[in-house]
Amino acid sequence: MPKLKINDTEIEVAQGTSILQAAEMLGYEIPRFCYHDKLSVPANCRMCLVEVKGAPKPVASCAMAAGENMEVFTGTEMVHKARKGVMEFLLINHPLDCPICDQGGECDLQDQAVGYGYDRSRYYESKRAVKDKELGPLVKTVMTRCIQCTRCVRFADEIAGTPDLGLLNRGEDAEIGTLVEKMIGSELSGNLVDVCPVGALTNKPYAFKARSWELRKTETIDVHDAVGSNIRVDARGGEVMRVLPRLHEEINEEWTNDRSRYAIDGLKKGRLDTPYVRNAKTGKLEKASWEKALETIAVKIAQTDKNKIAALAGDLCDVESVVALKDILDNLGTPHRDCRIDGAHFDASTRSGYIFNTGIANIEQADCILLVGTNPRVEATLVNARIRKTWLEKRLPVGLIGEPADLTYKHTYIGVGPDSLQALASGQHSFAEKIKNAKNPVMIVGMGVFQRADGLALHAQLHDFAEKMGFVKDGWNGFNILHTEAGRVGALDVGFTPATNGMDFAHIVEGTENGKVDVLFLLNADFARALGDNAFVIYQGHHGDSSAAHADVILPGAAYTEKEATYVNMEGRAQIAKRAVYAPGEAREDWKILRALSTALGKPLPYDDLGTLRQRIAKEFPHIASPDVRVVAPWKQFGQAGAVKMEPFHNAVRNFYKTNVITKASAVMTACVEKFLSKNDERKAA
Amino acid sequence: MTPDFWNDYGMPFLFMVLQIVITIGAVIFSVAYLTYAERKVQGAMQRRQGPTTVGPFGLLQPIADGIKLLSKETIIPSQANKPVFFLAPMLLFSLALVAWAVIPVSAKIVIADINVGVLYLFAISSMGVYGVIMAGWASNSRYAFLGGMRSASQMVSYEVSMGLVIVCVILATGTMNLSEIVTAERPVWLQILLLPMLVVFLVSILAETNRAPFDLPEGESELSGGFMVEYSAFAYAMFFLGEYANMILMSAMATILFLGGWLPPFEIQALAFVPGIIWFVLKVCAVLFFFLWTRATFPRYRYDQLMRLGWKIFLPLSLIWVVVIAGTLLYMGRI
Amino acid sequence: MNLFFAARSFLLVEILKGMWLTLKYFFFVPRVTINYPHEKGPLSPRFRGEHALRRYANGEERCIACKLCEAVCPAQAITIEAEPREDGSRRTTRYDIDMTKCIYCGLCQEACPVDAIVEGPNFEYATETREELYYDKAKLLENGDKWEAQIAANLVKEAPYR
Repeated sequence: MPKLKINDTEIEVAQGTSILQAAEMLGYEIPRFCYHDKLSVPANCRMCLVEVKGAPKPVASCAMAAGENMEVFTGTEMVHKARKGVMEFLLINHPLDCPICDQGGECDLQDQAVGYGYDRSRYYESKRAVKDKELGPLVKTVMTRCIQCTRCVRFADEIAGTPDLGLLNRGEDAEIGTLVEKMIGSELSGNLVDVCPVGALTNKPYAFKARSWELRKTETIDVHDAVGSNIRVDARGGEVMRVLPRLHEEINEEWTNDRSRYAIDGLKKGRLDTPYVRNAKTGKLEKASWEKALETIAVKIAQTDKNKIAALAGDLCDVESVVALKDILDNLGTPHRDCRIDGAHFDASTRSGYIFNTGIANIEQADCILLVGTNPRVEATLVNARIRKTWLEKRLPVGLIGEPADLTYKHTYIGVGPDSLQALASGQHSFAEKIKNAKNPVMIVGMGVFQRADGLALHAQLHDFAEKMGFVKDGWNGFNILHTEAGRVGALDVGFTPATNGMDFAHIVEGTENGKVDVLFLLNADFARALGDNAFVIYQGHHGDSSAAHADVILPGAAYTEKEATYVNMEGRAQIAKRAVYAPGEAREDWKILRALSTALGKPLPYDDLGTLRQRIAKEFPHIASPDVRVVAPWKQFGQAGAVKMEPFHNAVRNFYKTNVITKASAVMTACVEKFLSKNDERKAA
Repeated sequence: MTPDFWNDYGMPFLFMVLQIVITIGAVIFSVAYLTYAERKVQGAMQRRQGPTTVGPFGLLQPIADGIKLLSKETIIPSQANKPVFFLAPMLLFSLALVAWAVIPVSAKIVIADINVGVLYLFAISSMGVYGVIMAGWASNSRYAFLGGMRSASQMVSYEVSMGLVIVCVILATGTMNLSEIVTAERPVWLQILLLPMLVVFLVSILAETNRAPFDLPEGESELSGGFMVEYSAFAYAMFFLGEYANMILMSAMATILFLGGWLPPFEIQALAFVPGIIWFVLKVCAVLFFFLWTRATFPRYRYDQLMRLGWKIFLPLSLIWVVVIAGTLLYMGRI
Repeated sequence: MNLFFAARSFLLVEILKGMWLTLKYFFFVPRVTINYPHEKGPLSPRFRGEHALRRYANGEERCIACKLCEAVCPAQAITIEAEPREDGSRRTTRYDIDMTKCIYCGLCQEACPVDAIVEGPNFEYATETREELYYDKAKLLENGDKWEAQIAANLVKEAPYR
C-alpha cells in the first residue's frame, strides 16, 4: 500500500494503482487521450504528463505506478509546458474541421485544446491526410482526424474480441486500419465511436444530424435484449437522435451492443399512431377513434364466452402493462394467457428456474463456464463481453454444447445436444473434470434449449445436472437461463403464464384455428405464426408488423423510449425506463390503454396513475418493487420429468440485427444484415 | 308696382350665397394650407423637412390627407349617442364658419357690418365649447369624457380674461363695431397700454382653441386624443377643420382688435397702395405663425398650472388693466 | 433677488428665450433629415440588416451545418437540420430564420466559421404578413445571390478589424 503525496495531499492507494488513478481519487483531473479505464495502458498520447519530484523528465501518469513516498505535482509550470508541447504536436496534423465534425462539442481534443492549445499554429508545412477506412454501416471514419491513441485498437482486441484493427506503419505514416480492407464484424462496434477521443470514428447513421448541445438527454433502459443495459437516449424535439451507453458496472459496464444503439431509426418507421378497426364489410383496417376502438372490443367481449378469451404478452412488454392486462383477464375470469411467445416450454413456477441466478457481474468470479444451447455473443452480447473479460483475466475453461459458434474466446466444443449433457454428467467427456474441480462453475442455458416440445423435461434434467455437477452449491448458484427478450422475465415474475386449466402459447394459437379461442389479445406480441381467421384479434403495440396484420382492432402503444415503465432483466433486476419523447400521434402508454379498456369493459382497474399501479405491483410482487436491485431467488425444484429427445439444440437468436419489431423496422439494421451477414450465413435466415 | 322679384330678392340671395361659398371656400382652403404650414414650420424648427413628397415641396399633401380622411370608414362606437355624436363635429365646424360673417377683411369687404360685432364674435367663439362637450359625452368613452370636461373648464376659464381684454379694447376705441375698432384712432400711449392685453389675449386664444401648450383636452400622452378619441374619417375631419378654422378666426380677431386690421403697419402711408386685404391676410398669417411657433417651442402645461394661469394671473391682471385703462382714458379725457 | 425673478417671470424672459431658440432653428439651422425613399443615409460595412446565406464563387453553398449560429442565437430564431449530402459532405437540409424573432445582434455571423450566414446591407424587406418573414434556406440563399457583391465588399472592408 504505497503512500504518496499529490499536490501536497497525501493518499494511500493499492499496490499497482497508477498516478493518474490516484490523482483522480483526490479529484485532480489529468488530461488524457489514450488512457481508458476499461482498456490496457499504452501510454502513447503523453497528454497525462505530471511532474514527479526527483524524476528528471515529466512522467506519463497513466503508466507510472504510484510508489512509496512519491511526490507528484499535477499543475506546475513544467507540467503545463509539457502538456502544451504535447498538444501542439497533436494539433500539427489534426485538421481544423471542428465545424463539420460530429464530435464537435463533445470532443476530448477540443476540450483539452482550450486548456492547453495555442490559438495559432507554428506549423507551416503541409498537413498529412489519411485515407478513410470503410468500417461498415455503423461506424464512419475520418482518419485524418485520428491522433493515434489506439483506444479503438485496444477495444477491438480486448473487449470486442475481434482483433481486426491495428496501427499500421510508423512515424508520419502511422495510421489506424485493418490490414486487409475489412469491416468490423463485432456486435459491439458502436463502442468504438465512444472510445474514440476525437472525431475519427463517428456514429454513421447519426452523421451530421444533431449537435450534442441541442439534445435532451434521458437516462433509461435498453430493451433490445434481456441484459437491461443502462442507456442514455438523446432526443431532439420528438425524435430520438441517438443512444449512448451509461455506466453500470454490474450490467453493461460502459458498453452497449449495436442493436440497442443503432436500431432507433426503427422507432420512426412502421409505427402505429392511431387506432384501427377492421371494417366488417370491406375486411380492411380503417382508422378509428379511441372510443370506437375500445367500444368495438367491449361489444365483442360481451358477446364472447369468457373461456374463449386469451391473451399473449410479447417481447417488449413492460411490467406495468402486463400486470394491467393480467388484472383485466382475472376480472373477465379467463385463465388463457402466456408470455412465452417464442414457444419455449419451461417451468415458470420457480423463479430460480428461469432467471440468471449468478448475476452478470458475478461471471467474473467464475472459474469454469458451460454454455448450453446458446451463443451469448448474439443473444446477450454484453454477457459474452463479460465472459471474455473473465477469460482474458483467468483463461478459464469454457465449454459449449449446441451450435458451434465463434464466441471471441477460446472454448471447448462438447457436443450438439442433450446427449452431450449426459456425457458430461456421466463423466465421459473430459470437460466434466474441469467443472467438478471448479470452485465457482457457471452454466448458462440458452432459450433455444426450451424451444422444443421436450422443453419441460429438459428443464428438470438441467436442474438435476446442475446439482449433480456442482453448479449449485452453498453460497454459489451457477445455474443461469439466458433470456433474449426484455419483457420476458418481468412477465414471468408477475405470473403471466397459463393459470389453472389455461392454455399456453401453442394451444392458444391452435385455438384460433380450431375455435377454442374466439378473442385473442396481443400485447406487443409479434410472432410469425399465422392465426386462425375466425378469432377476433386485438393487437396493442407500437409497430405494425406481422401480427398486427391479423388484427381486427389495433391499439397504438408506446415504444420503450416513450413511456415510463419497469423492465426486469435476465438477472431479475427491475429497472425503470424513462420517457425521452412522446409517442407519435394518438399512441398512448400501454398501461393507460389497458386502464381505458377496463373502463370500456365495465370493470375499471383500481389505479388511475402510475404511482398507484406500482404500489399495486409492489404489494403482490415485492421482488420487483425496488429498482436496480437484483433479488436472488432460492434454489428449488423445477421442471417436469419426461423423455428427452436426442435432437441437437438450436439457438434462440440467429440474426443479431433482427430480433424484434423495432429492429425489423430499422433500415440501419437491414443494412447491417446486408453487410455483416453473408448471403449463405444461416444467421441471416431467421 | 309689382315687386321686382329678381332685383329685390333674387340678386341679394344669389349674392349672399356667393358670399357664403367664397367665405367657406377661403376658410377651408386656408385650413388646408395652415396644416401644411404647421408641418413645414414645425419641421423647420425641429430640423426636419416636413412634407415633401406629394406634389412640389409637398404642396398637395393637405389634399391627399383630406382625400384619405374622406375615404376612410366612419366608425361609430356601439354605445355612443349617435345623434349627439354626429352633431358635435358639425356644430364645431359650422360655428367656426358662422363667425366669419362679421369679420371685416378690408375697409369695405365685410358680410355683415353689425354694431355689436365684438359681442357676436365673442358669443360665437364661446359656443364652440358645446361641440367639444357633446363630442366628449356622446362618445361614451372615459378618455373622451375627460377631454370634454377639461375643454369646457379650460374655455370657461380663459373666456373670462378674454372678455376683460375685449372690454379694454372697447373702452379704448369706444365702439363695438369691428370696422370702427380697426379705424378708431389709437395714440401711441394707448397702444403701449394695450400691449400687455395683447399678450394676455394671444395666450388666451391659444387656450381657447386648445392649441399647444394648452392642448390638454386632446392630451395625446394622457388621454390618447381626448374628446376626439372615438372619431374617425369625415367626422374627425370636421373636428379638424373646425379647430383650424377657429385658429384662423381667433387670429383674425387678434388682428382686428390689436393689430390694426387691414391698415398698413405703423400707418406708413407709403405702403397704402397695397390693398387692405393683403395686409389683413399678412397680419393673420403672422398671428398664425405665432400659434405654430409656440407649439414647436413649449411643452404641454399641467392642468393645475393651466387653471392657475387663468384664474390667478390673467383674471386679476386683466381686471386691474380694465381699471387702469379706464382711469387713464378718463384722465386723458377720452371718455 | 425676488424682485429680479419676479421681473424675469413677469416679462416672460424665459418664454421669449425659448421662442428665440426655435426661431433661430427655423431660419438658420440646416435640416438633418433626408428624403428617405429617394435619398438614403450612409451605411456602415458593419450594418446588420437582412440575413443571407452566401455561396462560394463556384456556386457551392458555404454553410456546412455546424450549427454554431443556432447555438449562439440569443433569440433562438435559427433552426437547422442537417444530413450528409449524396457526395458525403455536411450540408443543411433545412435552414430557417424566424425574422420576427431575430434581434439582429449579429452573433450568427460572428459565430460562422465560413462566413456563410451574414447580415447584409438590406433593411428594406418589410412584408405584409408574418409568414413571409419566416425565411427558409431557399430565400436566404436567394438573398445571398442578390447581395453578394455588396456583402463581399463589406467583409473585405471589415477584415482588418476581425
